[in-house]
Amino acid sequence: MRGLVLILAAALAASAASAAPALNARYADPAQPDITGVWQLTGYFTFRADKSIPKLKPPYEGLYARRMKAFDAGKPIDDVTADCLPPGMPHIQVVPYPFEIMQTPGRVTMLYEYAGQVRRIYLDGGQPKDPDPTYYGTSVGRWDGDALTVSTTNIREDTQGDFTGLPHSDALTITERFRRTAPDTLEDSITLDDPKAYAEPFTSVRTYKLHPTWTIGEYVCEENNRNQIQANGVTGFGVPPVKK
Amino acid sequence: MEPTVHRRRLIGLALALAALAATPAMAHHSFAMFDRDKPVAISGVVKDFQWTNPHVWIQVMVPDAKGTPQEWGVECTSVNFLRRQGWEKDSLKPGDKVKLMIFPLKDGSKGGQLNKLVELNGSTAALPGYQ
Repeated sequence: MRGLVLILAAALAASAASAAPALNARYADPAQPDITGVWQLTGYFTFRADKSIPKLKPPYEGLYARRMKAFDAGKPIDDVTADCLPPGMPHIQVVPYPFEIMQTPGRVTMLYEYAGQVRRIYLDGGQPKDPDPTYYGTSVGRWDGDALTVSTTNIREDTQGDFTGLPHSDALTITERFRRTAPDTLEDSITLDDPKAYAEPFTSVRTYKLHPTWTIGEYVCEENNRNQIQANGVTGFGVPPVKK
Repeated sequence: MEPTVHRRRLIGLALALAALAATPAMAHHSFAMFDRDKPVAISGVVKDFQWTNPHVWIQVMVPDAKGTPQEWGVECTSVNFLRRQGWEKDSLKPGDKVKLMIFPLKDGSKGGQLNKLVELNGSTAALPGYQ
């Protein structure tokens, strides 16, 4: 009996040891290059890390100027995330909160800690036909060697490029190229092509670091949001009073 | 010897110090309201520690120039980020004496974004990381 217990214990230990490195591989698809894991943005969390922006056309140029003026005055406006609405695309790719990539046949799924958001990237044209613009749009992916190229359209006009409020129009197409450039590094080259709002396409190359020991935590924005947008359109602070 | 609760908290904070990486400050909303160029120190007594998302909050009573306690709201990052830096839901408790570095509100009202915990109940030995 004691021998059996020892054997069972050894088997359990062995399975635990082999399970640990496989934590992310469980969600990998042998038919795809492996980009699974928990990743976190490196660099500053404006759309481009150096804070440069696309050449904006009217009226988007004026809109962004108003937002930046309010931003610099410490009274940010039009920040829907303050009301716990989702950041959407492309903002979600340049937040500092980590995200997890899972790969299954025909699909790459990105699970974001920030507000528990999800991007579903359909491979081989398996995407649903959805006529309504959405926060994350409709994403179609294709493997080009070791790079996952993703084209996203059908994006709501009220999503922003980053937390400063970089605007875009409903004509935005986002083309991304995800590539694992090192075992612990993921690169996403993100191009915004928006002929209505931008004079020319605008690309930001971002890198994400692998965090093998991290898990994605729960994040319910509505739990205790004390930053709701106020009647004057400005993001609030410390409101409502302490909830219990 | 069983570690006391206080001791466990100090160990937790020491671990947090070890985990002090270049984690960027973050808010689920624009943090344009904070003056990140002029951090200031405030000292007072914790009234409430809200271990919640999207932000952890420290409500702290800080004496004004006349010595009258005034309530300040200090916004921290999310539960998950603080947990990864070694904080726990009982890292602060009502009644704790704290010294905090904060990025103050630009409009001068009583609040800001946590930069770091500088002192807890007179101890400077363990300073959890937050930038």
